[in-house]
Amino acid sequence: MGDNIYLPQLARVSYIKEEVAGERAIKTFRLEFAEGEGFEHECGQCAMLSIFGKGEAMISIASAPHVKTYKQFSIMRVGRVTSAFHELSVGDVVGIRGPYGNSFPVHDWRGKNLIFIGGGCGLAPIWPVIQTAVAQREHFRDITVFYGGRSPRDIMYQAELEKLRGAADVHLSVDKAEEGWNAYCGFVPANLMDKEPSPENAIAITCGPPIMIKFVIQNLRSLGFRDEQIYTTIENKMKCGLGKCGRCNVGKDYVCVKGPVYSWDVLKDLPAEY
Amino acid sequence: MELILEKGRLDDWIAALEGWQAFAPSQEDEVWGYRPTASPVRLDHPNTVQPPKNFAFPQREVFFRFEQVKGEPPRLTPVEPDAARNVVFGVRPCDGRGVVRMDTVFSDHVEDSFYLGRRKNLAYVGLACLKPASRHCFCKSVGGSPVSTEGLDVLMTDLGDCWLLASATPVGETLMQAAGALLTEPSAEQRMELARRHEEALARPQKSAVADVGNAATRLKDNFDSPLWEELGKACIACGICTYLCPTCHCFDLNDEVSGGKPLRGGRVRTWDSCQFPDFTMHSSGHNPRDSLGSRLRQRVSHKFRYFVENFGTPQCTGCGRCVSQCPVGIDIVNVVNRVCASV
Amino acid sequence: MIRIEDIRTQARDILETGEVRAVIGWRRGSRGMAAEPVLISQPEEAESLVWDPTCFHNLSLNLVQERKRLARKGMASNKPLALVAKGCDARSVTVLLQENHFRREDVYVLGVSCEGSGVLDERKLARVLDGLTPDSAAYDGDDYVFQTEEGEKRLPAREVMADRCLECRSAYPRLNNAVFGEEKTRGLEAPFAALSRFEQNRGAERWDFWKRQFERCIRCFACRSVCPLCYCEECVVDSIRLEVTPETTADEKANRIRWIERSASRSDNFGYHMTRALHLAGRCIDCAECERVCPVHIPLRLLNNKLEREAREKFGYEPGASVDLPALVSSFRDDDPNEFIR
Repeated sequence: MGDNIYLPQLARVSYIKEEVAGERAIKTFRLEFAEGEGFEHECGQCAMLSIFGKGEAMISIASAPHVKTYKQFSIMRVGRVTSAFHELSVGDVVGIRGPYGNSFPVHDWRGKNLIFIGGGCGLAPIWPVIQTAVAQREHFRDITVFYGGRSPRDIMYQAELEKLRGAADVHLSVDKAEEGWNAYCGFVPANLMDKEPSPENAIAITCGPPIMIKFVIQNLRSLGFRDEQIYTTIENKMKCGLGKCGRCNVGKDYVCVKGPVYSWDVLKDLPAEY
Repeated sequence: MELILEKGRLDDWIAALEGWQAFAPSQEDEVWGYRPTASPVRLDHPNTVQPPKNFAFPQREVFFRFEQVKGEPPRLTPVEPDAARNVVFGVRPCDGRGVVRMDTVFSDHVEDSFYLGRRKNLAYVGLACLKPASRHCFCKSVGGSPVSTEGLDVLMTDLGDCWLLASATPVGETLMQAAGALLTEPSAEQRMELARRHEEALARPQKSAVADVGNAATRLKDNFDSPLWEELGKACIACGICTYLCPTCHCFDLNDEVSGGKPLRGGRVRTWDSCQFPDFTMHSSGHNPRDSLGSRLRQRVSHKFRYFVENFGTPQCTGCGRCVSQCPVGIDIVNVVNRVCASV
Repeated sequence: MIRIEDIRTQARDILETGEVRAVIGWRRGSRGMAAEPVLISQPEEAESLVWDPTCFHNLSLNLVQERKRLARKGMASNKPLALVAKGCDARSVTVLLQENHFRREDVYVLGVSCEGSGVLDERKLARVLDGLTPDSAAYDGDDYVFQTEEGEKRLPAREVMADRCLECRSAYPRLNNAVFGEEKTRGLEAPFAALSRFEQNRGAERWDFWKRQFERCIRCFACRSVCPLCYCEECVVDSIRLEVTPETTADEKANRIRWIERSASRSDNFGYHMTRALHLAGRCIDCAECERVCPVHIPLRLLNNKLEREAREKFGYEPGASVDLPALVSSFRDDDPNEFIR
């Protein structure tokens, strides 16, 4: 017994970057543990972040496990807690507990081609996998990243994506054509079909809006990917992160414990209540 | 350990339980509930309106308090769960089985220190149901029994002019030992009377029954997309009665309650929540994975009779019948399970 | 006496002719004697409709719910929905019309006069029957007749009738498209009799009483959920009802009012019930469903009655009396009393 499992640790905001402006603004935050050791995490895991007086929100950890000095989070402003995050300044102290959930089996994917397909703020949950694969470049074969936003201004991690080139093939897209945009115009699933990645010895990892994930999986299957070659992460409303509060319950799983990472051959058997 | 307690001596036994706070069912404005014992304790109650789940899982619980002067780091003060030793009398076997299921949830994966901190100081003294406590009882059809000791430390059986007390755990033995000379060895006749009464209780039919609980999980899976869910859920008014009165529903919400602004003061608070409330699963985006009455009824019923079975090998529902008897519009979980499972 | 066949025939007819989209009524329930609400859309289903003293539910709630459901699905129909309505239920339809919740032509009221019967109070009945659990209940013109495991039991209706029915003066549904049963004045007790009895207690006793009631509240929100007039998509007292659409902005979500915490503490419960009572002032038509469904027996009717009586005494206002009346709290007359404004 003993530990108060709901008590967060304190962490200081060390860096803030505005990724996307406007109504669906996204900001990236780096948090450094204010006292003690903090915690280690694996690719795909989440943390419960809190602003005292506002509450908690479950957010994917967007930094790779080998980054020890901070945890990175890219947060879209949608509700009470996330809006409060967008008001923060460097130096402010927030609460953090975790890590929660399962992780991408990155180690098992050594020797394979990795294909990442992200949309909107769905780049954040798969970003640690991309960073890990690039850091361990010799262990993986081709790395391909598809990523798209509504417009060029909705592309997050722009500088970081450019830095990936060389280590990975990067295929960006925007939903609607706009002057000055030289890459693909169209939805992410269409960009995927346009480039036709091979399923041969490959793993596809996708995250983004539910409707995008749906079509990405459809398209991957039509390209010959088997269900167990396709990975995604799902999110549901969460309160405890510990498999107790019941909010994220989908079928027999509490997503905060058994998820958020699922291969499609497992996920397709769960009720589509996410 | 099996011993006899004369009917008139129950209050003496309770008084002898030094260091324990005792609770038993009593009425307030005709509402049966567990309250601190007041002499005489009679144990002649029907099913209480609420199960005794509040003792380990109170409806409201503060996890920690926070205080923050603007511009400074917050200060957090953890709260310890109440360490009082509570003994609860008159617990029905269905609610005893409910306790076991709650223990499972709060120990699985990560131990919840608040639930378990209270639970380790809690003892349940059960009362065998020699006749059904309500017309909506269906414990026998979900693997329970009116004389089950699961989750109970002691089971009391009414033998007319006395009770026969049977310990079911070491804690139960301790409670009985505290009674000292108040408890006496049962006679051979009393033992036979106990066996006779238990047999009779087991044989007595219940008005309501889940038809085939063993196959319910499979059938509910097969019929996940049945149109019956919307049909049976149509009358639901989306209140929290069925879940709040359930001995095994454990869903909760976590919120920051602010009590002062300068400096910011407040606490992080757990409160019960219900999968039947419309916004329970609603994402901040407005997307709601269970946005219809039928999908929420399916969640409640499937959790009790399928998901819990898939995870822990037993139905979560213990057949107390509260969600049936108290539903404002008469939604009957037994009827729902039976109808959905029987559909093709 | 009301013949259920007449209601069934009428329901079948209006479904057959396509005059209405569906009929909301009561059918036999699966858990003992109580009827349960049902929505039927096929003429042959009319056979399942029942009318007896367990038809407690105010079906205008289901009318509101069904209209919301259809609207969400983009299926707002130009055909009306029909409902079977007692006198009190019809009054709540009237209030909904006053508040422009829908138009008169959107609803078809199959009015049922309760005549002498009213509905029974299950708690009073349990006290009298002491452990017996009836399988059915009927009204024979004088008595309620119950079928129980020990055979038939007859009780004078008055003994186990709901308080609101004992005090009811308008058991006849004024607002109707068709009506069943005769207009009879019942008046077994004076209006506000239960309230007057309660008010004989001294102030301190009343305060202790309400403290105890609010202490017991478990905030299951059944009182709000069952109320046809608590139709707000967003409720100030908690987070349960919040209509979020893709268009709802982050600011709107972040800055939502949270006046009353979710905790079932006495003070928050007090705030919840007071807010609800005040929002029902001049609107509540005393169907008393909130009191019936409360699992911990909080006599909520006393709160609503108190405000109802204020409205009657101060302004001569009777909620649900007429569609043409302006709503109490949004109207003003020169001769309105104002001595309570300080």
